[in-house]
Amino acid sequence: MKDSMRKAYLASVTDRFVKGQMDRRSFLRAAGKLGLGAGALGMGLGARPFWTMSQAQAQDQELKPNADVMKWLADVGKPFAGTTLKLATESTPPSNAIATQLKQYFEEASGIKIEIEVLPLEQVLQKLTLDVASSLGTYDLYYIDQSWAANFSQDVFDPREQLKNADLAMPNYNIDDFLKPLVDGIAMYKDTMVGVPYDIPIFIMQYRKDIWDELKLPTPTTMEDLLNASKAITDAKGPNVYGTSGQMKSGHYSLECDWTAWLWGHGGSIFDKDGKFCGNDERGLEAMAYWDKLKATMPPGVNGWTWDGEGQSVAQGVAASMLSWGEFFPFFDDPKASKVSGLMEAIVPPKPTTTLRTVQETAFGEIPGVGHQGGSSLAVSKYSKAPDAAWIFMQWATSADTQALITVLGGGTGPTRTSVYDDPRVKANARVGAGTTRHLPVVRETIANYMGSEPDLPAWAEISSDTIPVALGKYFAGQSGSAKDTMDALKSQVDEIVAKG
Amino acid sequence: MNASVASRTLRTLAAWVVVGLFFFPIYYWTSVAFKYGNDIFSRPPNLFHFTPTFDNFQKVFGISLGRGGVTVTPGGGNFFMAPRLWDSIVVATLSTLVAIVIATLAAYALSRMNFRGRHQFVNWVLSTRMMPPVAVAVPMFFIYKGFGLLDTFTGMVLIHALMNLPLAVLLMKSFFDDIPAEIDESAIVDGASRFTIFRRIVLPMAKGGIAATAVLCFIFSWTEFLFALTLTTTGLKTVPVVSSTFVTSIGTAWGNMAALGAASIIPAFIFILLVQKHLVRGLTMGSLKQ
Repeated sequence: MKDSMRKAYLASVTDRFVKGQMDRRSFLRAAGKLGLGAGALGMGLGARPFWTMSQAQAQDQELKPNADVMKWLADVGKPFAGTTLKLATESTPPSNAIATQLKQYFEEASGIKIEIEVLPLEQVLQKLTLDVASSLGTYDLYYIDQSWAANFSQDVFDPREQLKNADLAMPNYNIDDFLKPLVDGIAMYKDTMVGVPYDIPIFIMQYRKDIWDELKLPTPTTMEDLLNASKAITDAKGPNVYGTSGQMKSGHYSLECDWTAWLWGHGGSIFDKDGKFCGNDERGLEAMAYWDKLKATMPPGVNGWTWDGEGQSVAQGVAASMLSWGEFFPFFDDPKASKVSGLMEAIVPPKPTTTLRTVQETAFGEIPGVGHQGGSSLAVSKYSKAPDAAWIFMQWATSADTQALITVLGGGTGPTRTSVYDDPRVKANARVGAGTTRHLPVVRETIANYMGSEPDLPAWAEISSDTIPVALGKYFAGQSGSAKDTMDALKSQVDEIVAKG
Repeated sequence: MNASVASRTLRTLAAWVVVGLFFFPIYYWTSVAFKYGNDIFSRPPNLFHFTPTFDNFQKVFGISLGRGGVTVTPGGGNFFMAPRLWDSIVVATLSTLVAIVIATLAAYALSRMNFRGRHQFVNWVLSTRMMPPVAVAVPMFFIYKGFGLLDTFTGMVLIHALMNLPLAVLLMKSFFDDIPAEIDESAIVDGASRFTIFRRIVLPMAKGGIAATAVLCFIFSWTEFLFALTLTTTGLKTVPVVSSTFVTSIGTAWGNMAALGAASIIPAFIFILLVQKHLVRGLTMGSLKQ
C-alpha cells in the first residue's frame, strides 16, 4: 500500500471513530493493521475544541498531573490559599490547555485561583503596556512575546533569582532543561532573563507529500527546490492548487516574519554590526527578488492573510506547502478541520542560499536562521501584589510534567523543554490525526540548528509590527517603486527610530 | 391593469431583493456556526448542502453550562461564553436604562425650560459626541483603577451610559420639541406641577421616541469594544471583546466565533421585538410639522 494511501485510509478510519461511526475495538484493530501501536489510544476521544484538545484524555490516568507535583503544590500553596492571580495571554495552545483543562488541578491542590484573560496578541501588548506604565499590578504574570523582551525586561523578576528562594522552589524544576537556543532567543535581554520560555511557534517546512510524490518533485530542502517545486505545482494544478502560501497581510507583523525567513535564508540580516538597518544590501535585495518569484506561485489572496489565512489555504488544499509555524501541523492532521489530514509532512526549513551571517555580524542580539521563531516567555510581574503565589504558578505552568500534558492535551504544540520531547506520553501521540506530535522531532531539530531570532531592542515592537510591514505592504501593492527604493526608504525610517532610542 | 400588476410585481421583487441582501449575511454567518471546519472553507461555498453540527455551540457554551464533563472556572479561556453573553445583556440593559432616565430628564429641561446658557449647554453636549473614545480610554483606565471600578458591572454600566448620554439627550430633546408646548401650558393652567406634566402627559406622548432612543443606546452598548477591552480584565467581558479571543495563534476559530455571534444576535433581536411597536412611531415622529 502506498504511504499516502495508508495515511489517507488512516485519516478516514480516525474520522469515523471520532464521529462515533466505529467502536473502539474495531478502530484499534484497523489502526494496528496500519502499523500503529498504543499511541492510537490517544486519538480523537470525544469532541475536540478548535485546537484539538481531547476532553476524555484528561480523565485518563496517564494524562493527569504528577502526584509529587500535586503534593508539592498542596504544601507550598497553603499560605497563599485564597489568592487570585491574573494573567493576560495570547490564545495559544499552552494557555488554552491550562485555562480549560489543567488549571483546575492547580487550583484544587494549592487553593490559589487563576484567572486567565485570553486575547489576540496586539491586545495583550496593550494590556501589558498599560499595566507597566501604571505600575498598578493588575496582572501578576506577563506573557511576553520575544519581540517585547527588551521593553519589559525591567518589569519582571529574573527566574534565576527567584529560584534562590528554597522555600518556594519546585523540586526538580531544572531550569537548565529549557532548550538553550530558546532561552537565548526568547528569554534573554542583555544579561537579564525575562521569564522562562513558554511556547515556541517556529517556522518549519510543511508540504503535501502526496503532491510532491505525484509530480515527482525533490523534497524542498533548499530555497531553489522550493521555488522550482512551487512553480511546477502551480503550473500543473493552478488555479485550484498553488505551490506555496504566505502570511503577507500588509501592515501586519506576519509580513515581517515572512520577510525575515527569506532575508536570513539569503544570507542577509536586519541590522549590521554597527546597528544600522541593512535589509537593503545586496543579499537583502536578492531575498526580495526571490520572494517576488515565490509570490507568483502563491494564491491571489495572500496579500490579505496573516498566518491564519496561510494555514487555512494549506488546510483546504489551496496551497501545497508553507514555511510557517509548526503549531499548524496538528491542525492539518485533524480530519474535521482540514482536507489534508495525513497528507502533510514536516521537514526542517530549506537550506539558505549562502552562509548565514553570524551573531557578531549583526546587532541587538539578532540571530539569522531560516526557522524564524516567535516564542514567548512567562514571567512574574514586579508590580504583582502576590509575587510568591505567582512564582508558584509559573513554576507549575512551565514544569516538565505540565508541559508534557500541554503538548498532548493542547494539540501537539512544541514544548520548550528538552525532556518533554522524549516524554513517553508525547511520543505516544506521534501518529496521523488531530493533536499529533509527529512533527516535534522536526521542531526540535529546527530549534537546535536552524532557528532565527529577531533583534532585541526597545523599539523593535514598533519596527516589527508597524514600520517594516507597512513598507513591505506598500511594495507588494505596487505603491512604493522597486524593491531597492522600498528598502532604501525603509532603512531611513528604521535607522531614525533606532537613533531616537 | 397590466401596468398595475407589473408594477406591483416589480415592487415585490425589489422588496425581496432588498430583504435578501440584508438577510443573506445573517443567514451565512448563522450557517457557519453549524458547519465543520471543512465545510466553512469549501470551494465553491456550500450554502445549503452541508452536514450540520452543534459542535461549535457545544464547545463555546457547553463547557460553561457544565456539559462536556469539564469544569471551567471564571477566566477559563475561549470556552466560557454563556456568562460573557450574560455580561453583555446586563451591561447593555442597565446602561440603556440609566442613559434613558437621565436623558429624558435632561432633554425635557432643555426643551421646555429657559435658563442661562441653555444653547451653549446643547452645543457642549453635541461636542462630547465628537470626542473619539480612544483619546480618553487610557485616562479612564487610571481613573477607574483609582476608584475601584475596573472590571466591575458598575464601571461598565457607567461608562456605556456616559457614552450614550449625548446622543440620547439630543434625540430625546428633538422628540420633546415636537410635542406642542401648549399642552404643557394648559396643564399648568389646570394646576399640574412640572414633574406631573412630564410624567403623566409628555412622557407617554414620547413613548415612541424613547423606544427609538433605547434601541440605539442598546445597540451602541452591545457593540462597544474599546472601553470593554480597556476597563475589564477577567471579571466580566462583553461579547465584542470575547469574540476577538477566537483569533488564536494558529488561526481563527471561525465556527466558534460564528456560534457566539449567532447567539449574540438573539438578545438584541428580542429587545427590538419588544419595542418595535413604538419604534416605527418613534422613528417617524416629528416628520410632520404642525
